[in-house]
Amino acid sequence: MHDTLTIAGREFGSRLLLGTGKYDTFETMREAVAASGTEIVTVAVRRIDFDAPGEDIISFLPEEVLLLPNTSGCETADEAVRSAKLARAGGLPDWVKLEVIPDPRYLLPDPVETLKAAATLVEEGFTVLPYVLPDPVLAKKLEEVGCATVMPLAAPIGSGRGLKLRDSIRIIVEQAEVPVVVDAGLGAPSHAAESMEMGADAVLVNTAIARADDPVAMAEAFRLAVEAGRTAFHAGVMEEQAPTPSSPVGGTV
Amino acid sequence: MTVDVNGREQELAPGATVATLLARLGLEAGYALVERNGEPVERARYADVELEEADRLVVARPVAGG
Repeated sequence: MHDTLTIAGREFGSRLLLGTGKYDTFETMREAVAASGTEIVTVAVRRIDFDAPGEDIISFLPEEVLLLPNTSGCETADEAVRSAKLARAGGLPDWVKLEVIPDPRYLLPDPVETLKAAATLVEEGFTVLPYVLPDPVLAKKLEEVGCATVMPLAAPIGSGRGLKLRDSIRIIVEQAEVPVVVDAGLGAPSHAAESMEMGADAVLVNTAIARADDPVAMAEAFRLAVEAGRTAFHAGVMEEQAPTPSSPVGGTV
Repeated sequence: MTVDVNGREQELAPGATVATLLARLGLEAGYALVERNGEPVERARYADVELEEADRLVVARPVAGG
C-alpha cells in the first residue's frame, strides 16, 4: 500500500518520528533509529561546553534521516525564533519543532507564545511543526498561520501516561487539514497504535524507547505498532456496540 | 584582540574570522552554529566574517533532544 506521510510537500515512508534524548549511549540511539525505521529525528540546540564537549551526535545519525531541530529550553516566542534562526544559519534544515515551555513542573507549552513564534517563523520561511496542548482552536489557528503540522501532546513530556487527552486529539484529527503528529507522553506501543487508529498521521516518541530496558527492541515494537494502527485506521475500526454472538445462535449439538 | 565565546575570553589575531575561531576551538567539522553580537552567522560566510574586539559570540551545536 502506498501510504506516505507528506509534510510540507516532502514524503516520508515512516510515520514514526524519534527524539534522540535520554539514550545511555549514541551507539544505542543509532541502533534504535535504524530499528524504528524513522525518517525524522529531533535534536536540541545548545551552547558548547568547552570543558566537556562530548561526542558529536550528528555523526551517529544516518544522512538520509531528516534532522528536526527543536527549540527546547525556550520559554518565550523571541527565544524560540532566535534558536531556530541560529540552527538554520548554521546549516541545519529550515524545519523546526517549535516548543515554547515556560513551566518546568508539568512541561506544558505556552499556547500564546507558540502561536506568535509560529507566525514569525513561517514568515521567515521555516517549515514549522509546533508542539502544543491538544486545543482544537489553537490547532486551527496554527494551521491558519501556515504551520506544516500540529503536534498535540498525549500527556506531559516523558510521563509515559498515554492518550490522556484523546477526546481533544480526536477533534483535532477530525478538523485538521495538515498532518497531526501525536507528540509526547506515549509510554507503550499500544498508545502509539491507538493514536494511529484514531487517525493521527504520525507519532513522535522519545523517552518510551530511549529508557526501555532494550531500546532497540522497543524501537521495533513502536514501528510495528504505528504500522498496525495505521493499517487498522484504513481498515476501519469498528464502533462500540451491544454484545452480538459471533457464532450461529441455533443448532447447538 | 579579545572576544567573548560562550562567556569565556578568547585571544585572536587581528583579522581572525569566524572560521579561524572555529578552527581554534577544534570545530571545523560538523555543525557549529554561531551567533555574533546577537545575530546568527550564515555557515557559508564563516570564512568571510571578520571578528572585532569585544565581539560576543555564542557557539552552539545540535545535541540529543526530544
